[in-house]
Amino acid sequence: MTIHRVIRKVQRFQGWFGGGAALCLGAGLYLGLIGSPPDYYQGEVVRIMYIHVPLAHTSLLGYTVLALGSLWYLWKRDPIVDNMCQAVAALSAVFTALALGTGMIWGKPTWDTWWTWDARLTSFTVLLLILIGYIMLRTFVDDHEKEARYGAILAIIGFVDLPIIHFSVEWWRTLHQPQSISMRGVSISSGLLAPLLCMSIGMSLLFSYMVMVRTQLLYLDRLLHAKKGRLLSQFHLSKSDS
Amino acid sequence: MTNLSIRWGGLLVVTIVLVVLTYNHYQDNITSLVPQQVRKEAPTGEIRVLGMVQGRTLKTREAGEATFTLLGKSATLPVHYQGPPPDNLRELKILILIGTWNASTQVFEARDIGIVPNYGFIAGAYLLGLLPLALFLFAMTRRVNFLYEEIKASKLYEEK
Amino acid sequence: MGTKKVGMIVSILLVGGALAYLALGNFGENVVYFFTPSEVKAFSPDYYQKKVRVGGMVVEGSMNTYPDRLGLTFQLTDGEATIPVAFEGIPPDLFKEGQGAVVEGYWTGQHRFESNMIMAKHSEDYMPIELKRAGVELPRKDFMKSLVE
Repeated sequence: MTIHRVIRKVQRFQGWFGGGAALCLGAGLYLGLIGSPPDYYQGEVVRIMYIHVPLAHTSLLGYTVLALGSLWYLWKRDPIVDNMCQAVAALSAVFTALALGTGMIWGKPTWDTWWTWDARLTSFTVLLLILIGYIMLRTFVDDHEKEARYGAILAIIGFVDLPIIHFSVEWWRTLHQPQSISMRGVSISSGLLAPLLCMSIGMSLLFSYMVMVRTQLLYLDRLLHAKKGRLLSQFHLSKSDS
Repeated sequence: MTNLSIRWGGLLVVTIVLVVLTYNHYQDNITSLVPQQVRKEAPTGEIRVLGMVQGRTLKTREAGEATFTLLGKSATLPVHYQGPPPDNLRELKILILIGTWNASTQVFEARDIGIVPNYGFIAGAYLLGLLPLALFLFAMTRRVNFLYEEIKASKLYEEK
Repeated sequence: MGTKKVGMIVSILLVGGALAYLALGNFGENVVYFFTPSEVKAFSPDYYQKKVRVGGMVVEGSMNTYPDRLGLTFQLTDGEATIPVAFEGIPPDLFKEGQGAVVEGYWTGQHRFESNMIMAKHSEDYMPIELKRAGVELPRKDFMKSLVE
């Protein structure tokens, strides 16, 4: 029962992640919605940044974890890492979709359009498609080991989209504004940076917390499945014996 | 199960309190009149008026003083503005003016100009960003609890 | 098992297609998301009356409105070339002289750009109005320079 002990350990940390997420997000929401001044150019609507940017960066972080986990899995074939990858993929897909959605809501009052096919928006949509493809692929392969391996290979190939997303606003002409925190320095004044950082840390913690819960869920699901299968076969064996 | 309900119930209560507080914080900024209301009701005291700056009517005398016509759906208001240099004042722009209606001269005396705050978009973005995450997490936590119960019931940890 | 095979192929196609799109497909076209005024001025007649997007800076003091209808004219520049734009409709809230904008419409060949859609481009610096009035400038990518490159 080694894996069980690992999960117990993770569970002990889980509370800290959840609590930290609640604290950071609470502080971030207060600062973002009440405690921070409006922007000189965008006015109040800049507050959407504090939810949109953390969601977007967390989904990129999530995909990075997925790619690294997939590499690890191909190397060590550790099933719990595969469980984690599967959990991370589902959550990254949710975060990516929400980042796109909140981005659309930010785009309407600032750019005056919900959607446009510029390099940043397109490459981010591609990320969502890759994640959906990954999740779909995993449901269609019967053999669990194969499912994990194919998924891992797919996730690693899909990683090429990440640098494209990150640098799209620097390399090409886009409607989307360039990175605010880059080699040029920080282009956000402290009053507006504080809620952004709070929300970003909070979202990362929330993501980690949700990954832990989901990894545990997938593990328990498989455990129960295996147990039920074993009980059934025992039942049949005992029947055929008598 | 009870532990779960207590935790999520607590979260729900905190959320509701926060929403109410935020709403109260912004309530003053949400209400505004339109030009036809100002014409009809002639309110006294400081008010907020929402409308669009009509094309070719904006005349800036010096930084911090300007006159223009505010366009509503069925009425217009002549406006005289005096205050800090307005960054957002330009023609064909929908703005919120803060000031008083002078009924004798029929001119709106504005002391501040702001852009329309778009609280609907902000509220929409926060709801879209946080609500699905909360629901997803809730569903997952419930499922984990359920699976634990199931596994316990099927006596998986029984030592052989 | 037939449906599973199909599903597997579909999901691989989804990812493969998305990546192929990035690598060689339409993405290359979208990378030139908008043209610059210099490029528009150098347009061959093939491009006249073709729907294109042009990005640039709105020239200070170039905006003109009409008293009787919703529309405006202004100049769009990339620092090297400047084109006149005629727009019908209500410009976005953040549309401002001295700021970036992307307009969608047609280059008429008579050296005028006719548009019915403006998208306001905002920069990546954010600060309260008090700081801006105090003259604070935060580091940011030079939009005009990025256009000429």
